[in-house]
Amino acid sequence: MSAIREVKYLQEMQHPNVIELIDIFMAYDNLNLVLEFLPTDLEVVIKDKSILFTPADIKAWMLMTLRGVYHCHRNFILHRDLKPNNLLFSPDGQIKVADFGLARAIPAPHEILTSNVVTRWYRAPELLFGAKHYTSAIDIWSVGVIFAELMLRIPYLPGQNDVDQMEVTFRALGTPTDRAWPEVSSFTSYNKLQIYPPPSRDELRKRFIAASEYALDFMCGMLTMNPQKRWNAIECLESDYFKELPPPSDPSTIKIRS
Amino acid sequence: MPSTFETQLFFSRPFLSKRQIQRAHKNTISDYRNYNQKKLAVFKFLSDLCVQLKFPRKTLETAVYFYQRYHLFNRFETELCYTVATSCLTLSCKEVETIKKANEICTLSLHLRNVVKINTEILENFKKRVFQIELRILESCSFDYRVNNYVHIDEYVIKIGRELSFDYKLCKLAWLIAYDALKLETVLVIPQHSIALAILRIAYELLDNKNWSSKRYSLFESDENSVNEAYFDILNFYINFFDLCDLQHHLPEGVPPVSIDRFMVLKKNAGPEFGLQQVTDHELDADPYITISRENTVQERRYVLSMDLINGESNSVHSTKQV
Repeated sequence: MSAIREVKYLQEMQHPNVIELIDIFMAYDNLNLVLEFLPTDLEVVIKDKSILFTPADIKAWMLMTLRGVYHCHRNFILHRDLKPNNLLFSPDGQIKVADFGLARAIPAPHEILTSNVVTRWYRAPELLFGAKHYTSAIDIWSVGVIFAELMLRIPYLPGQNDVDQMEVTFRALGTPTDRAWPEVSSFTSYNKLQIYPPPSRDELRKRFIAASEYALDFMCGMLTMNPQKRWNAIECLESDYFKELPPPSDPSTIKIRS
Repeated sequence: MPSTFETQLFFSRPFLSKRQIQRAHKNTISDYRNYNQKKLAVFKFLSDLCVQLKFPRKTLETAVYFYQRYHLFNRFETELCYTVATSCLTLSCKEVETIKKANEICTLSLHLRNVVKINTEILENFKKRVFQIELRILESCSFDYRVNNYVHIDEYVIKIGRELSFDYKLCKLAWLIAYDALKLETVLVIPQHSIALAILRIAYELLDNKNWSSKRYSLFESDENSVNEAYFDILNFYINFFDLCDLQHHLPEGVPPVSIDRFMVLKKNAGPEFGLQQVTDHELDADPYITISRENTVQERRYVLSMDLINGESNSVHSTKQV
């Protein structure tokens, strides 16, 4: 199934920030997909502490990631598995959104979806609640978590299991209430939750010490609990974070090898 | 080790003309009458499966497309047609995102074929065969996912019907005609949105509406030749095989009864039959895509969607030869 999804969606998408499907062939009765050669990924870069990167580098990576994600969304495709491991680097430093094994077309309103998508640490709250209907906002949440991880250089919301993921997420970002997210309490798992207050701006400043005010706005926009209020890809791309100094680095000049 | 390495390169063609289909069938079907009879039985079988598994019409439509596409390049009767049909349905589920467990589909498939004792071994062997055929089906479609992905006849009947301000009764009638249309080869010839337009025209005229000619096909990314091709295909089906149609037994309330005569009147009013331009005999014979029998013995078979890749390949072969 994942091979089908991979081909189905990559076949129609061509964008500098989305991995390219070059060829499909059968050889000796095996199906072979030829994908663009991308030597490393963002997870490797984050984990390799000998690689130093700057806020401008992070900005460049976020910009490329969001361009790729926006291209998916405007073609009515949900990626459903965004994480550093699936953001690959081309030899010239371009980030490419890869692994469309869980992707699907944006569904019709009556279609029921599985909430068992996205790697746990990058899973949006509506998925943690088991929502049967969701939108491209789930991908934006994942990008928000990746952004936080880039600033901290450790995973931002590392839940041990699905229950713990809710705990970790809401402890860090506050438990959503009906006021901020109407009818969130109607999810069956909501009643068992510990109620945490949302972090104050000061707490966020202390946690993300190098982040500018616009960078925090940008992160908070992507990590808004209510998916309807969460920023979409266009709002992210148009955010002041990308307009303020420093400008995004030239991808080809960022050193991603130790 | 063989000293040569065989490879084939195909440019995907998701739709073929009727003559191209006939030519491709020459390689795969020896008894066309038998194929057609089996196809109708398979259509009923797939419909039953879809009803019991609560699949929407698009799942059936895609399975029917796959079944017919498979037999363009794979010999009919080398596989049990019901096994092929089950493969088409499992693949169709994946294509249109109506996911069901293969176990459930295969068990029901065996049940509907009156296999009495279904044990684990029978089921596993059946599933294995079903999965093997899936790859053949995909290959017969050149791994081209551009069709059957977003556009489906029943959905576009409603969408276009609404856009043209047609009422519920007309759209429902069209939706019922769309079921009969799946019994034809039209899905291999004409894109689904054009078929939807042709069906809407038939429903419109069956309800005694006039002035269809004022509808502009270009608004729906279609053209007169494509819509006419589907329109006459469906009318001819009702005229020549009226007994096979389901429409006669399922007319919506308030729709006058349908008969062969009724469809003959529509055809008469439509004027001379015309549709897509057919290819010449010479072009047919010179087209390896449909004339070469696909034995699947070629070691490497590549499928591309862009002519640029073929041209690039061709240029590189030529330059290598010159060197």
